[in-house]
Amino acid sequence: MIEVAGLSKAFGDKEVLKDISVTFDAGKTNLIIGASGSGKSTLARCLIGLVDPDTGTVLYDGRNFIEMNMKERKMIRREVGFLFQGSALFDFMTVEQNVQFPLDMLTSMTAKEKVVRVAEVLERVELSHAGKLFPGELSGGMKKRVGIARAISPNPTYLFCDEPNSGLDPQTSIVIDKLIHEITLEYNTTTVIITHDMNSVIDIGDHILFIHNGRKSWEGDKVSILETENKEVLDFVYASEFMKKARK
Amino acid sequence: MGSFVFHLGKYIMLLWRVFSKPEKFSIYRRRLFDEMISLGLDSLGIIMIISLFMGAVITIQTAANIDSAFIPSYTIGFTTRQSSILEFSPTIMALILAGKVGSNIASEIGLMRVSEQIDALEIMGVNSASFLILPKILASVFINPFLIVISMFVSIGGGYLIAMATDIVTITDYVEGIQLDFRPFHVVYALIKTSVFAFLLTSIPAYNGYYASGSALDVGRASTAGVVNSMILILITNYVLTQLLLI
Ligand SMILES: Nc1ncnc2c1ncn2[C@@H]1O[C@H](COP(=O)(O)OP(=O)(O)OP(=O)(O)O)[C@@H](O)[C@H]1O
Ligand SMILES: [Mg+2]
Repeated sequence: MIEVAGLSKAFGDKEVLKDISVTFDAGKTNLIIGASGSGKSTLARCLIGLVDPDTGTVLYDGRNFIEMNMKERKMIRREVGFLFQGSALFDFMTVEQNVQFPLDMLTSMTAKEKVVRVAEVLERVELSHAGKLFPGELSGGMKKRVGIARAISPNPTYLFCDEPNSGLDPQTSIVIDKLIHEITLEYNTTTVIITHDMNSVIDIGDHILFIHNGRKSWEGDKVSILETENKEVLDFVYASEFMKKARK
Repeated sequence: MGSFVFHLGKYIMLLWRVFSKPEKFSIYRRRLFDEMISLGLDSLGIIMIISLFMGAVITIQTAANIDSAFIPSYTIGFTTRQSSILEFSPTIMALILAGKVGSNIASEIGLMRVSEQIDALEIMGVNSASFLILPKILASVFINPFLIVISMFVSIGGGYLIAMATDIVTITDYVEGIQLDFRPFHVVYALIKTSVFAFLLTSIPAYNGYYASGSALDVGRASTAGVVNSMILILITNYVLTQLLLI
């Protein structure tokens, strides 16, 4: 469980996050949705200390991350898997090496166990055949899936995914959503997913946080989002003609 | 001036992180080995070509300038050897390497910064500064002295080829010249310089790359800044070390 309270962040005089308070439960897929530039990625980066928030607290199962020193933060980060918006694969490593890297750094697995684990997660993202390739040889969607494999390989307690299915075809998109959902239930992971994708919202939105201009505008789940009268949510959800028709 | 002090402070703080204790040594060992190949072996060809022509030109120019009966012609070999060992091999090669290796380091690390690879390392609890930069510094400081010694031999060999191919100096005179009054300390001095330059030409571009931000455009800028800054510092350090060690 991650509890966020009163979190704000400004870059210069530009307020990107304003007084965000939210609780992400374990064993649920928590979605953060909102328009481009609304501060979703920045929120995720604040939670894990890649950006230092100006005010607010972030509790990882009761442990206050913001007040920790570098060493204590490192211990928390060992329990975190993070998929970056741009995948952030290590260019000088093959797909297999990328997925194995967190195992090398974070676990005390034997070489054999690591090989088995790498094969297992690559299979789950349907990339068993691509293990020997370098990131430069992958398509955007493949990179994304390797990024997910890398994030989940050490079995994290907390899993962050910044747009796991942007750039994927609808079918693969569903596979990935399902995968993340399964893992969340299987290991009781605290999962936070940033997304634009309304399919994901309807499929796996156990808990949804809607951010508008850096402020928490609405909070609910996949059922209540279809019933809300919140104007900003309606504009976001029913942006397309298709969804407008579907609503009627 | 204020900005220079700011960057100096930030650079020293980065080096502090680079030289803090690594968390898993086995991974560094592999990286160190890779870097020695990519920073050392890959530069061998260009170093040899440049050194060969450099030695040849020093020999021709010296010969052209001492067209006098009072100066013995073994001076040509002597001058070629001294210039190569004292200055051309250590300093000019360091400048060449700053261009080649420095821009490579700055753009590689800069690209890792803007594509969030450095953030990914940090999240996995890796000291990214040490992981990315330390192997490069150690590899260069270790391998560059070998490159420079090779450069000295090839440069003197370039002069020898000129002696063979032309009649501006006889081979006997040239060989006598390159053996005349040899002081091993000069080689030590050159290798001290080389190690210091190796440190500068890796750590400064690494600093510029590590703190690049924004887009690929900024990486290009960081790369240029890294090369220019390291060249300037190499030249200043060259002056200081020469003053300290040779006088
Ligand atoms: N390091 C930074 N310095 C200055 N401004 C920043 C920085 N990082 C983000 N911003 C600004 O913060 C705002 C929110 O950015 P963020 O990346 O969080 O958006 P987002 O909701 O993830 O958008 P998208 O859906 O397009 O990824 C943007 O206006 C951006 O310009
Ligand atoms: Mg984003």
